[in-house]
Amino acid sequence: MPRNANGRNVLLTTALSVVLGALWIAINASGQGPGLPSTQKGDWPYYTADLKGTKYSPLDQINASNFNKLEVAWRFKTDNMGPRPEYKLEGTPVAINGNLYVTAGTRRSVISLDGKTGELNWSYALREGNRAAIAARQLSGRGVSFWTDGKGDDRVVYVTTGYRLVEINAHTGAVITSFGKDGIVDLKVGMITGSGQQIDLETGEAGLHSTPLIVKDVAIIGSSFKEGMTPVTHNNTKGLVRAYDVRTGKLLWTFNTIPKPGEFGNETWENGSWATNGNTGVWTQMTVDEDLGLVYLPVEDPTSDYYGGHRPGNNLFGDSLVCVDLKTGIRKWHYQVVHHPIWDFDLSSAPILADINVNGKAIKAVALPSKEAFLYVFDRVTGEPVWPMEERPVQQSDVPGEKTSPTQPFPTKPPAYARNYLKVPDDLIDFTPEMRAQAKDVLARYRVAGMFNPPLVGDGNGLLGAINVGNAGGGTNWPGAGYDPETHIVYAQASNSSAAGLSVRKPPGGFSDLNYFAGRNDQPFREALGPGFGTAADSPLAKTIGKPQPPPPANAPAYGLNVQGLPIMKPPYGVISAINLDRGDLQWQVPFGETPDNIVNNPALKGINIGNTGQNGSVGLLVTKTLVILGDSQVTSITHPRGAMLRAYDKATGKEVGAVWMPAAQSGSPMTYSAGGKQYIVIAVSGGAYSGEYIAFSLPATD
Amino acid sequence: MKVKTTIVALVACTIIGVHYSTLRAQSSRSVWDGVYTEEQAKQGQGLYNEKCSSCHGDTLMGGESAPALAGGEFLSNWNGLTLGDLFERIRTTMPQNRPGSVARPANAQILAYMLSANQFPAGKTELSQQTEVLKEIKIDAQKPNPK
Repeated sequence: MPRNANGRNVLLTTALSVVLGALWIAINASGQGPGLPSTQKGDWPYYTADLKGTKYSPLDQINASNFNKLEVAWRFKTDNMGPRPEYKLEGTPVAINGNLYVTAGTRRSVISLDGKTGELNWSYALREGNRAAIAARQLSGRGVSFWTDGKGDDRVVYVTTGYRLVEINAHTGAVITSFGKDGIVDLKVGMITGSGQQIDLETGEAGLHSTPLIVKDVAIIGSSFKEGMTPVTHNNTKGLVRAYDVRTGKLLWTFNTIPKPGEFGNETWENGSWATNGNTGVWTQMTVDEDLGLVYLPVEDPTSDYYGGHRPGNNLFGDSLVCVDLKTGIRKWHYQVVHHPIWDFDLSSAPILADINVNGKAIKAVALPSKEAFLYVFDRVTGEPVWPMEERPVQQSDVPGEKTSPTQPFPTKPPAYARNYLKVPDDLIDFTPEMRAQAKDVLARYRVAGMFNPPLVGDGNGLLGAINVGNAGGGTNWPGAGYDPETHIVYAQASNSSAAGLSVRKPPGGFSDLNYFAGRNDQPFREALGPGFGTAADSPLAKTIGKPQPPPPANAPAYGLNVQGLPIMKPPYGVISAINLDRGDLQWQVPFGETPDNIVNNPALKGINIGNTGQNGSVGLLVTKTLVILGDSQVTSITHPRGAMLRAYDKATGKEVGAVWMPAAQSGSPMTYSAGGKQYIVIAVSGGAYSGEYIAFSLPATD
Repeated sequence: MKVKTTIVALVACTIIGVHYSTLRAQSSRSVWDGVYTEEQAKQGQGLYNEKCSSCHGDTLMGGESAPALAGGEFLSNWNGLTLGDLFERIRTTMPQNRPGSVARPANAQILAYMLSANQFPAGKTELSQQTEVLKEIKIDAQKPNPK
């Protein structure tokens, strides 16, 4: 240290520089400068709280001691945000400076609400006519994104039902005319089939439920398509991930999730099949490491969900986590978690960025929750698995033309956080020995062969299907998981009992160019349509082909993999788990949700203590300073008036510390924010006879 | 005087009692009471196959995210509500591609098929197509104890 006449000044200057430097680093490391929203300030700036996908807020006004005192602060019914009510409201608002922004209703309108009162500030809707009516992803979607220049230019960014990117002034609800063409970028432009044929802008298949990923001045947008069970062609629209200039709408880069010739991975589509297959989009939330300049893309299945005979090979980047450069979209690394995907194990959840410490070594990690209830953990810089992933032999397909991968990757750590295959007999219903025996009888009609059991040709005279767990709904589906950056623990809710018998059939003449797709040979064929998929008046409607079958006999065990109306798998039917990312193990796991009425009241269980079974279903959660908060996925009416409970769990132990009543099940993912010094929790509820509603909870005013 | 009062009170009690039991009898009608006909359910099956099965599946077990319309989870979800609630939900929002396009009689047939698929007994009278009447029929997931 210099010691001269100005020594003190030098010291002071140095100290000041250090402090300022530290401040500068702190601000930039969080990516959220003074004018920018952040969870630290009580905002909820992104669908997943932050760009790292954590769903974590440090707010703690609502805690274990007062959760039971929560009251409804306000509610917003979405019935009139479209021509008819919506019963599947899935949005999670973003909260900025006390105002909320979210999608709502069957028109997928955008609304701005006063966070203190729920009063409507403004609403915006784009009327898209037939383009929306026949869109691949309908209803209100998951919400919106927010962009600000930090100086008052604040914009709401969202994707319409008809797959248009729109920017709206966050203060007024008016479109930003300088963005795209009069505020709109047509996302169907550039979407292709085959080797490069532009899809029709009106009827071409593409849509999106997830929110744009906004980072710096870039908006990154995924793509999704119709249900992939019974497509009319394997040559469906190809998935893309694209980045746009958030100020102007200019296309910055495109990442081809089905690589073209010359691009990495093209050879994994044997016989040139890259050119004759589609899908492989990114339909869930993406995450980004702003400092590293890396974006993490969770990619879905190629066409079709259960038959891959028209695309021999591993089919990159199907079911792969892909890391690309934020500036260029160029691939940095990838990891395919399912080779040659034919199980509908689309990567469903936002990857979580976690800075962890394994055996004394600091690792910048990315953790991927999944339908298959594995948490896949990688070094997010290099793509190296943090714990080894073993390629293990799996059951091979006997469906003509299908060539399954001889092995599939299995993480050695952390252990699966829910069941991802049916272990016989251990997992079978065991309330009574008779029930277990009946379960085995039911299974005699199916092939049981561990995880990655390939779909078989379903036949009423032979096997009905291949038993798998978690395929369509998870495990963990689109609501994803959460993470506490202080303790390095991932909190994940997962279905623990969604067994299915997967089967394929030959499509009826003329319906499809696929040799096989989902179904059973002995059943009349009907096209499988996704929720909300609409075939408008002038589009070919789904037709019944073949004779209607007589209804099953009254005493048939019929409907699905059940025993006396009970799930074939024993409880818990749903779980919530805390996964320690430093150690790669489960810190705790508890049943999630209240025992469903039909289980409690089932006459076959009279006199048997069944305990808390939990509920099937995948729901989103919120992590705060001390709590994990999430709502039941089903309504119950035994221990409280008909409704569902929003529950709080102690983060450290998994003990339930509070619950408040909701009129319907949680159908979106909860969020929290602070407005006027008060913490609020907002949750979308809907389902059954209850139409969509955002409900805000807060603590009663103190006297 | 005292006797008169007692008689009046007794008569009043009887009248109230009769009325109460009538009310109870009306409100206690449930899906277990044979509220649809087999013929209606048969017609409903054809309509179901044509208009509903694409999303809800051949065997009413649901699709990728369209819920099942038969079985424990479905019954739990609607337990305690009325057929009127279910009827209105179907009538006003389904099929999703053309909501409201199915007429009341056809909706009643589809609902009858759903009842048969959930193994509720058929009866001699057709299921009403009037929402108000259907609101008087409760969805009880579990069969009540014999009276």
